[in-house]
Amino acid sequence: MDEPRISTPIHVPRPAGPWQGVHENLTRLGNAVVHTTWGEWLPAALTAPGLRRLLGRDWTRYRRIPDATVRYRFLAARLLVKYTAAAALRVEPETLDLAYRLGGRPYLRGFDQIDLSLTHTGDLMAVGLSRHGRIGVDAEPADRRMRFDLLQAQMCTPTEAAELAPLPEGEQTAQTLRLWTLKEAYTKALGQGMRLGFTEFGFGLQSGRLLAPDGSPASRGEWAFATHPALGRRYLLSVACHDTGLDAADDTSVRTMLDPGFLAAMAHEQPG
Amino acid sequence: MTAPASTTVGHDSHNSPDAPPGHGQLAGRPTPAPTAASGPDGGAPPGAAERADWLEKLLGDPDDAHNPHGYAALLAADDRREVPAATETLLTDAGMNAEFVPHELGGRLVRPDILARVLRPVFRRDVALGFGHGITSLFGASAVWAAGDEHQRRQAARVLLAGGRTPILHHELAHANAILRDEFTARSAPGGGFVLHGRKDVVINADRADAFVMYARTATSTGPRSHSVLLLDPEQLPPGGLHRLPRALTPGMRGSRFSGLMFTDCPAEADTLVGALGDGVPLALRTYQVNRCLIPGTVVAGVDSVLRFAVRAATTGRPAGAPPRRWHPVLTGVFADLLACDAMAVTALRALSLLPDSAHLLAAAVKMTMPDLLREDLEELSTVLGAHGYDRGPRYGGFQKLVRDLPVAGLGHAGTAACQAVIVPQLRTLAHRSWFRTDEPAGRLFLPSAPLPAFDYRRLTLTGSDDVLTASLIGSAERLGPLRTTGGAWAALADLAEAFVQEMRALREQCAALPDIARAALVDPRACALADRYVLVLAAAACLGVWQGQDGTDTFLSDPAWAVLALTRIGRRLGVAVPDLPDGTTQPVLEEVLARYRDRRSFDLYDTQLAG
Repeated sequence: MDEPRISTPIHVPRPAGPWQGVHENLTRLGNAVVHTTWGEWLPAALTAPGLRRLLGRDWTRYRRIPDATVRYRFLAARLLVKYTAAAALRVEPETLDLAYRLGGRPYLRGFDQIDLSLTHTGDLMAVGLSRHGRIGVDAEPADRRMRFDLLQAQMCTPTEAAELAPLPEGEQTAQTLRLWTLKEAYTKALGQGMRLGFTEFGFGLQSGRLLAPDGSPASRGEWAFATHPALGRRYLLSVACHDTGLDAADDTSVRTMLDPGFLAAMAHEQPG
Repeated sequence: MTAPASTTVGHDSHNSPDAPPGHGQLAGRPTPAPTAASGPDGGAPPGAAERADWLEKLLGDPDDAHNPHGYAALLAADDRREVPAATETLLTDAGMNAEFVPHELGGRLVRPDILARVLRPVFRRDVALGFGHGITSLFGASAVWAAGDEHQRRQAARVLLAGGRTPILHHELAHANAILRDEFTARSAPGGGFVLHGRKDVVINADRADAFVMYARTATSTGPRSHSVLLLDPEQLPPGGLHRLPRALTPGMRGSRFSGLMFTDCPAEADTLVGALGDGVPLALRTYQVNRCLIPGTVVAGVDSVLRFAVRAATTGRPAGAPPRRWHPVLTGVFADLLACDAMAVTALRALSLLPDSAHLLAAAVKMTMPDLLREDLEELSTVLGAHGYDRGPRYGGFQKLVRDLPVAGLGHAGTAACQAVIVPQLRTLAHRSWFRTDEPAGRLFLPSAPLPAFDYRRLTLTGSDDVLTASLIGSAERLGPLRTTGGAWAALADLAEAFVQEMRALREQCAALPDIARAALVDPRACALADRYVLVLAAAACLGVWQGQDGTDTFLSDPAWAVLALTRIGRRLGVAVPDLPDGTTQPVLEEVLARYRDRRSFDLYDTQLAG
């Protein structure tokens, strides 16, 4: 098994979908990435019946965000996560409990058939789902100028610096930005964010593979990475996917996850 | 099912409380020289602590580059996709398999908590080795221990005591992954016996099994009687009936020998049936309880080693061996998690002996929570390891290997879902009948050195629905309440205990309102999230139980600091409001981490001396 492939991000303009692409990508490649703008989702979010129930434990957090823009973006992003996950699990979004691990990574309580990651920047928001293992997504505005000379010490391994240094300035800035999003996506997949120093690991600019700082391979093909343009090239969206190699079931539906034999036997053994 | 009379396993206050009956006590006897004599006994001492210590010494210093059983050799074997042959031979010669055979059949299996403890030296070095040369044979043989007739029990014991392997051929479970996918069928043959058919592609040790324990489909209908267990001797099968398929290369446990098997209209004698026709699924549920406790109870030792790598990375070259302040929360937090994991695993392992009718709840809970928590810990430790985390050499290479091996050990989503299938249907009943009603368990449940009734697979049932752990949590919270005024860690612990009790109240209300799904096919998705919250509360309850159950001989475990830290982390995972850590809470935990690292002592409840 070499690197698994990562599916191309799909634009889903509203909670009503269409979600067919998510099902297809999850079945075929084991992962799916959805992107949209919070502006597109906000009207539906604000008029959603039972918003409090839909937000669950995030309701209090939502209500306490003082800045209206930040609050609405938070709301739209939570809805995007819930609707995307609900599509994959084939349940109603309000039945899902979006929980957070110690490092802040969101997950679906009770449903470990899907790992997920969320990113938002500017008006873009994106969610990645995977049934093979950890997933991390990160987006940045494509025109964000990331100066290699200023950021090199903070984010590059010696191998990366040696690859980036000779590039023409425009290409260098673009590759630095790509590298940044890849590093964000990878550390988000690990649930650690910048607690894992960006100079402790790197990527081959050409190969796109995960490398140790000295340039040696850092994985045996468990990780796959991709960078895509999004919203008409306005954003750069990077995805990091880990594959545990368990060859998980295609089926991610909640309805089928509890073994019928075990359920029947438990019902049979337990006193009335 | 007949339940043999319960006996209490020999026990005294010396450091060998867990000797099998008839072996006498070893207190005061010097530790045997670290050599393995051949034969089923292998020279292993009878006491649990002594045996774990003996095995640890036998395997030697893992950091010694010249040790044939050290990290250098184990990682090199993994790299070559081979089992570590020299270490397998060492373990065979040491009579390791006797650990998986009940005492009355000539083995050393007396209690599951003792088994987990004795296996930790192996798992500390190589989780894949612990699976491949070890517990997967027990996963198979356990059905024979639980329901086999005398002949079958002796047959399986003979195979294992001779150093053989008895892998399990799983039936297919919902949302199956590669290991749980596909299953065999066993049709009744006209003249008696069975005709076996089907294939599975990923079975550990399929190429070198001395007996197979097959969970075969014997009925076309679904329901509780759809499968049966067969004990198959490959030598006794007619030629052409069984085809061995090529090796399956797996990204995790790379060196382990996974391969496929195909049965083609293969006859099998009637006496291969273990238990009664249709016993398969209930037998799986009964015996998997042990596996579900055993996996976290052994794999915790692998993460123990990774915490050691992280402390090494954080302290190497530092003044006075003090890690940078920014790593204190990670090192102390993961240590607290390891103690929490061990508290829950040991409690569940002990429940198998003490509460054989209702241990299935706790067993499913520990398997649902702990592999996941340990994986999070590895990710957290990756921040401290930094670039060392990608190092393939013997000093740190065990980290990446465990990252690869751990998901295979836990079986991922399919493993979780199998446990949810035990807990979800009981939530409503628990809410109506047990929570806030059941009495607290005997205190010895929580104290690893306290005596227990002898364990017997035949006594495990699924009939109990009393949750004693929640009762213990509620009792602990009541006892801690008055101590709140003392402030500091005691007050924090009281607040934490109360927060978990509040969570239980909420769970009781929500679970009581669930539809009765025990007899319905439809699952309310909310029930799966409730089950997830519930098992985290049980993790907290086990921690509090172990902390409160201390007899005062261990000053660190008797101190509330580790429990406050562990419960805070569980509470944050649960999303309940947790109090701020009181000043000075992490300091004693950090000191203990560094002291255990320096003195080469294990990061688990047993605080064992390690080799090297």
